[in-house]
Amino acid sequence: MSGPIRSLVFTLVLCVTCSLLLTAAATGLKSRQQANMRADRQKNLLQSVGLVAPEEKLSAAEVQRRYDANIQHMWLDSAGRIVPEGDHQPTDLPLYLYVKDDCVEAYIVPIDARGLWGEINGYLALESDGSTVAGFTVYRHQETPGLGGEIEERWFQENFVGKRITNRNGEFAAIQIARGKVSEVVAPERRANYVDGISGATLTGKYLSSGLETILTRYEPVAVKFRDNPTCPSPAGTGG
Amino acid sequence: MASKTTPARQAFNQGLWSNNPIAVQVLGICSALAVTVQLRTAIVMALALTAVLAGSNLVISALRRLIPHNIRIIVELCVISTLVIIADELLRAFLYDISKQLSVFVGLIITNCIVMGRAETYALGNPPWPSFMDGLGNGLGYGMILVAVAFFRELMGAGNLLGFQVVPEAIYGAGYEDMGFMLLAPAAFIIIGLLVWVQRELMERRK
Repeated sequence: MSGPIRSLVFTLVLCVTCSLLLTAAATGLKSRQQANMRADRQKNLLQSVGLVAPEEKLSAAEVQRRYDANIQHMWLDSAGRIVPEGDHQPTDLPLYLYVKDDCVEAYIVPIDARGLWGEINGYLALESDGSTVAGFTVYRHQETPGLGGEIEERWFQENFVGKRITNRNGEFAAIQIARGKVSEVVAPERRANYVDGISGATLTGKYLSSGLETILTRYEPVAVKFRDNPTCPSPAGTGG
Repeated sequence: MASKTTPARQAFNQGLWSNNPIAVQVLGICSALAVTVQLRTAIVMALALTAVLAGSNLVISALRRLIPHNIRIIVELCVISTLVIIADELLRAFLYDISKQLSVFVGLIITNCIVMGRAETYALGNPPWPSFMDGLGNGLGYGMILVAVAFFRELMGAGNLLGFQVVPEAIYGAGYEDMGFMLLAPAAFIIIGLLVWVQRELMERRK
């Protein structure tokens, strides 16, 4: 066979082989991968309200059990009213409630913010006062390991616990990632609205801050309802 | 000395030292800057790259008589990325926690110049077994530099090693501060430069 024809045939065979292998891997493993991803999302959601400890190893079945026992999923319209199941529009907001003894302990907002290299997906849990952060988790991101990738680490996420999305006067203020340590770069009266930043990852912090602000603004009608009608007597020792 | 060693062993040793991919061939610098902020990510990257490099060298070398010369680079690229993506898919199905740690490295591995560089300069012209050993040697040689750079960056930049604090509080109390510069990419350039210097100096002395 002459040179160019041989190259063409070789390319064809190679491409077909590679695509068959990739297709087989992608479709054959899809259901397992999706089950893993769902369990991981649920685990992160539970972790944001403290129902799973950060280093805890759980089977998918146990995650599902805790999820079913504690979490309720609902859709809300842009004014924060509950939309009946199966009737929601694409613009409606998903919300998760952590219900304990018939009262709402916390509500959980799904986060999808832009990062430096791709989307950042996670959950932000707020206590039933509509202002205090109960937890923050990230289950998927593409940030650089060791720099922006630190958003998946415990120290960064624990940073959010007890912070507030409202300022001292009770007005909406969102939550920002500081450029450095909060205690060094933020004025004392605004520290409750800031978390420590990651050195070397200024842009990740910037994008995540603006993503959180957009999302929290969209959920503000929900937060207002919680602020006006606290659903549970607030338990001692939280809120700090 | 060369007469006693097998080609496979020679290939392994060269990658590790006298033809080290970072210090001598100056390949793979971009990923060496990105993942050396912490020791842990450097170790993960080193192991992942070693596995990919050995595997891709083996496959390319097995196909070396079939690959048409004029399209060899795109063929290498195709083989390497297929291998890496399949490995990633398998991890995501069976070892999800590990895959979450590694997924971010997948892009860095496929585009790593060492993988292409070794396929081009070694695997295309040598039998599979020495090529496999060449992959291992180069992967570990790369890993060695990565770990050394990460050791200094994490220690001096954050006062930690593998995430554990090693610089005692008392020293901070006495006024010591972490060097924030070490966490940025230019610091990696400087450390790599110093390591290349030390390595070449040692090589000269051996002669």
